[in-house]
Amino acid sequence: MCGISGVVSFHPIDDRLYEGVHHLEYRGYDSCGVAFLENRHIEIRKDIGTVDEVDTKRNLRHLAAHVGIAHTRWATHGKVTRENAHPHTSCGCEFAVVHNGIIANYKELREELKKKGHKFGSETDTEIIAHLIEEHFVRCGDVERAWVGALRQLQGSFALAMISPHEPEHIFCARHESPLIIGVGAESNYVGSDFNAFIDYTKNTVILDDGEYGVVSKDSYSVKSLRSGDVIDKAVTVIPWDSELSRKGGYPHYMLKEIHEQPQAVRTALNIASDDIATVADMVMAAKRTYLLGVGTTYYVALYGQYILATLADLDVSSVSSDEFRYIDKTDASSLVLAVSQSGETYDTVMSLRHAKERGAKTAAVVNVVGSSIARMVDHVILQGSGPEVCVVSTKAALVQMLLLTRLALEIGVRRKVIKPAKHREYEAALTALPGEIETLLNEQSGIIRAAAYRHAHIQNWLFLGRGIYYPIALEAALKMKEVTYIHAEGMPGGFLKHGTLSLVDDKLYTLVMAPPPSCGELHAMTMSSVEEVKARGGFVFGFSYDEKDDIFSERVALAPTHELISPFLPLVGAQLLAYFTATALKRNVDKPRSLAKSVTVA
Amino acid sequence: MKALVLTGGAGRTLVPFSSTRPKAMTVVAGGSLLRRTLTHLREVGVTDVTVVLGQNGEKVRQAFGDGSSVGLNIAYVTQDRPSGIADAVLAARSRFIPGEYFILAYGDVVTSGNPFHQALQSFNSFKGPIAGVCLPGPPTGRYGNVYLRGTRITKIVEKPTTGGMGNYVLAGWFVLPTESFTWLDQCGANMERMFDRLVESPSLHASIWEEGWMDVEFPWDVLAANRMVMDTWEEARISKNAVVDSAVTISGPVRIEAGSVIKSGAVLAGPCYIGRDCYVGNNVLVRSYSSLGPASLIGYGVELKNCVLFGNSKVGRLSFVGDSVIGENVDIGSGTMTINESMDRSTSIQIDIRGQNHDSGLTKLGAFIGDDVKIGAGNTIAAGTVLAEGSSVPHHATVGGRK
Repeated sequence: MCGISGVVSFHPIDDRLYEGVHHLEYRGYDSCGVAFLENRHIEIRKDIGTVDEVDTKRNLRHLAAHVGIAHTRWATHGKVTRENAHPHTSCGCEFAVVHNGIIANYKELREELKKKGHKFGSETDTEIIAHLIEEHFVRCGDVERAWVGALRQLQGSFALAMISPHEPEHIFCARHESPLIIGVGAESNYVGSDFNAFIDYTKNTVILDDGEYGVVSKDSYSVKSLRSGDVIDKAVTVIPWDSELSRKGGYPHYMLKEIHEQPQAVRTALNIASDDIATVADMVMAAKRTYLLGVGTTYYVALYGQYILATLADLDVSSVSSDEFRYIDKTDASSLVLAVSQSGETYDTVMSLRHAKERGAKTAAVVNVVGSSIARMVDHVILQGSGPEVCVVSTKAALVQMLLLTRLALEIGVRRKVIKPAKHREYEAALTALPGEIETLLNEQSGIIRAAAYRHAHIQNWLFLGRGIYYPIALEAALKMKEVTYIHAEGMPGGFLKHGTLSLVDDKLYTLVMAPPPSCGELHAMTMSSVEEVKARGGFVFGFSYDEKDDIFSERVALAPTHELISPFLPLVGAQLLAYFTATALKRNVDKPRSLAKSVTVA
Repeated sequence: MKALVLTGGAGRTLVPFSSTRPKAMTVVAGGSLLRRTLTHLREVGVTDVTVVLGQNGEKVRQAFGDGSSVGLNIAYVTQDRPSGIADAVLAARSRFIPGEYFILAYGDVVTSGNPFHQALQSFNSFKGPIAGVCLPGPPTGRYGNVYLRGTRITKIVEKPTTGGMGNYVLAGWFVLPTESFTWLDQCGANMERMFDRLVESPSLHASIWEEGWMDVEFPWDVLAANRMVMDTWEEARISKNAVVDSAVTISGPVRIEAGSVIKSGAVLAGPCYIGRDCYVGNNVLVRSYSSLGPASLIGYGVELKNCVLFGNSKVGRLSFVGDSVIGENVDIGSGTMTINESMDRSTSIQIDIRGQNHDSGLTKLGAFIGDDVKIGAGNTIAAGTVLAEGSSVPHHATVGGRK
């Protein structure tokens, strides 16, 4: 996912391109750049980093030019380097292109162009478009014909914007399966991935459809069909809404959006190359001691990792909260530190990794943000590819991290011959089924969980109990509840009840229990005995459970029977929904809870 | 963008109010459901609205005329036969220009905020057909169950019989291309088949509504909808043309419209609503969640609690009306008591709707009194009583009550 912005104006661009990509930063922010026309040549300013970071380094503001395009990138393929950042230009620097999408046939086109003598400066599929336009232009001498000719050769998805000194008063743009719109302003026109690119300047937009291209000048625009070249009469749509919400694409909050993105995020994570996982497995196998690090949500992910590695791979690792790691750090050259971080910038985790590196330890990480500090500093990184997570409360990133640690445990289990091939196939099949099962839960249980959340929103104190691998899940679920609803929720192992907590239980304290499927045998029985203990003291027990026979719950959300391996994930999704709906019932600021920030980059 | 608003819904179970008006003209929090829908449309910049009229459609025409009172241009289309939504939509076809998108809205669902705002934002994100979806409270068979992948709708199960409680449902508003009329034709004027087709190609995206939503199905739902809307009020609002005597106590979000007179000693506990040209007599107690429609006349010492008066009705002195809904032009004689709970105060109130017994699930529920009912002085009205429009009750009688 990337963001495109463009301005063509009677007046200097000034800060408008900078503002445009800034508003699109939610679409990706690992590198960005601008291209504009100055004295009939193209000037490019681009680098890695957020829009503000690149602005500090390269100055994206106060531009005197009248025509320019800009781009912000969220790399999913190809490294985050300055070379790979957009805009990209042709050999003669006569065409500058920004692109959102994937060109399916770029390898063939690249080979073809190479044969014709084109030299490429990046690894991106985008760059070939600039060269392709140049190739056509040399033959026909007309920018628009070259543009159309080149685009007709492309397969895949694209939203594009292009400028050229041969047409110094125009921006060319096109759309095919990736969004692009034109903004019609006073004495200026704009292009953008969505209207956030120019929301501050105009609310009049022309929405391109697939297979259409636009030629935009400072006082006019035309939209034509890529196939026939015919002019298409497009109506201007006036946007009556504010900028923030549109980015949520149909959802009332980012949190709900990201909860609903989990099936897709899991699918993406299941497709991460096994080599990637295998490299980390090698490192774990080679190390004498492995530490799993995270803080807050990611500490619970690490704790989950400790349980899953112990159960599946018969391997003992230590999970440590990274803000505490420095006090007990006894790493040496034979140690591995495996960190988990959504942003890759978490201060405590960065410091812990740095410290461990100084002591000679090997390092690895599971990270969502490409090009982040942690992704760059560790010996090997698994990029989880879950897409931007905007809501401060982590949902999809944490769930996918757990999934990736499960994959790691399977890999190590197979190598240690703890998992037999038949069992391994069974596990693989279970993981493949996970996205569909999450989707079913979201589709068929949301209303039930919402009704429960609204009924119980007045409860001020919750215990979240789980045993075994459900214990880290209970901790994570309780954290979701705390973060977003401001209600006290305490996660703990079921076994803790007798050792103090039972004294808290009365009719005002509610307990949430995550029950494993009955196939888990003793774990299931032990969990249900915790339920009995609370009930016996007059406590209300809300349960996520797989078995109809778990009828002692005061209230029960019935989960569809599933494989043991993935059974902890579904109550986690259920608990995310419970926290979300409780927060909406209480009218909380869901996406930005008080006092919290997305990426904790300070001590 | 233009809008098409359907008001053909008769609301068969919304007796006695639906006998004399389309469901969309049911009143909550001082305005009809349709007025709320139209106001929401105006707020998102819609100027032209086509309203499809069904049974008792003249009520709608009388209330809104050319639309200037709600800041819209309203044109009316009359549905030839009351044969469902598809016919209603097709009836309005000629009013839309091919190649445009329009908003399709059911005029009779209640939301706590403006759903079109978000629907248009979703439309801008997807540039394709949009359906508003929500998670209803209690299950209702009227709206199809929606299956989602991301926001893309993958399946709509119409009128699910079992297991649909946890699902999102179609909430009653859409952004659709005008080709929908053609598709609807091709699908044999069957709305469900048209949506199935839309789900397949090009696509139908969900705009998920997380605020309050209600389908007012039974008469007691009017009270719940009224409460839902009033719960969004945050401040008191009193017209400068209202006359509020000294020694009137006002607390919470109380709204008083122009021309109303509140006599001394009255206590108004918000949220509550006093419409235009009402008279609220001395020592009247208006408790929270009461809505008095225009030209209501409340006599000395009356107590009102959690009740909706559609308008132009009279409650005689020293009466109590609680947890009840009163239609238009009702005359309640002095000293009339609505009973609003069972003897044991914990049994939920049962109501007879069209000869069928329904459990309201509510332990506090009063009476439902249709338009033009005349009730004599000194009456007692049992919990869960429904009085048909135009009926009359003599002095000193006891009405309703279960055998």
